[in-house]
Amino acid sequence: MHDNQLSLPASEPGMTPVVHRLQRCHYGLRRALIGAALCSAMPNAASAYTATLTPATPLTVYLQVGVGGFTNDYINGGQPGNNTTINRVSATVAAAAVGNGTAQAMTTDSTAIQSYWDGYTFCSVPGQLYIGGFYRTAGGATAAALVTATVPAALTDAAGDTIPFSKIRWTSSGNGDSGAQPFAAGNFVNGSVQNVGSMSSNTWNESCWTFSYLNNTVPPAGTFTGVVRYTLSAP
Amino acid sequence: MTRAGRELRGAFFLACALSIIWPAAARAKTITIDDAGTQALEPSVSLKWKNAAPPRSGRNNLMVGTTTIRVRLNVMPWLRRSGRIYLNLPAQPPGPIAASWITQGRFLPGQVHSGNRVLVYTGPITAPSMEDMLTVRFSVDGSLVRRTFPVTFRFEMDED
Repeated sequence: MHDNQLSLPASEPGMTPVVHRLQRCHYGLRRALIGAALCSAMPNAASAYTATLTPATPLTVYLQVGVGGFTNDYINGGQPGNNTTINRVSATVAAAAVGNGTAQAMTTDSTAIQSYWDGYTFCSVPGQLYIGGFYRTAGGATAAALVTATVPAALTDAAGDTIPFSKIRWTSSGNGDSGAQPFAAGNFVNGSVQNVGSMSSNTWNESCWTFSYLNNTVPPAGTFTGVVRYTLSAP
Repeated sequence: MTRAGRELRGAFFLACALSIIWPAAARAKTITIDDAGTQALEPSVSLKWKNAAPPRSGRNNLMVGTTTIRVRLNVMPWLRRSGRIYLNLPAQPPGPIAASWITQGRFLPGQVHSGNRVLVYTGPITAPSMEDMLTVRFSVDGSLVRRTFPVTFRFEMDED
């Protein structure tokens, strides 16, 4: 302490001990005053510590159509990853059945049957295609994230023949589920970007889609293909 | 004995009585400790989701962030005395916050929820300052935070 550096003046010649004590008291009082001044400054020094917290990358989205990528189930601390696999949904129509109006069940090469949320066997393959994901955002509930399908006008074969995408529809369910599905049943709209579901913020959403080909027209024989791209858009 | 002497003796006894009674009735005095020498090793605490994926129910939106803080407390005023030092995390925006920490041994590890304080040291004060490196993890409901925000805490001395 600086006031400890103060030194008392030497006693003046002829000063009595009583006078000396008074002098000490005088300097003691001055030191006390200095101390008081220092103490009055203490509240500034004795302040609280402030840490700055920043929500880093609070926006997280995950969409899985078919097989996905997770290091582990969520409830076991799983982390989402990327999977670039494009799964196929297909149907082979027997020649005798072409165009008879009986919908043909489609199957998938996806192997995704379990939910990455908890490992629950949610879908059945090859009849169902898993679709699920989540939308993470800080700061409370926001508008839902939308899942859209970008649909070509038609499936095509090598000869350039076409089958409209609208000839494909799907139903939606999930093992053990009741009530509305987050990714509802529907059918493709030719050459469109159509909504196929939504996700409320900070919720896990999943459905199992069962596709079918309407089979109510007679196209030329051939292998018809097309790619639908699914996109999750968060606000 | 003069009247002045009797009054002085009365004052003496009164002082003695107070000196006996007062300590028993007194509560420990709490003083905020000068922590001006305290520094964080990172400029800010980055909050991340505790769990990357949300639950189906839409709850459990905890965000967590860890930082290292070099705590340096000026305890000169209590040198050669005993005291209890607490870490106080006041209630503050944006809402309930929890902090847990580990230390390198000078202070006690612990955890605290905002609006409370926790003992981090008790014993004699033998040096003008006390230092330790605290690894602090903050936890906050992610639904409460949208942008950077400050969290204030302080160290308090309860004098024996």
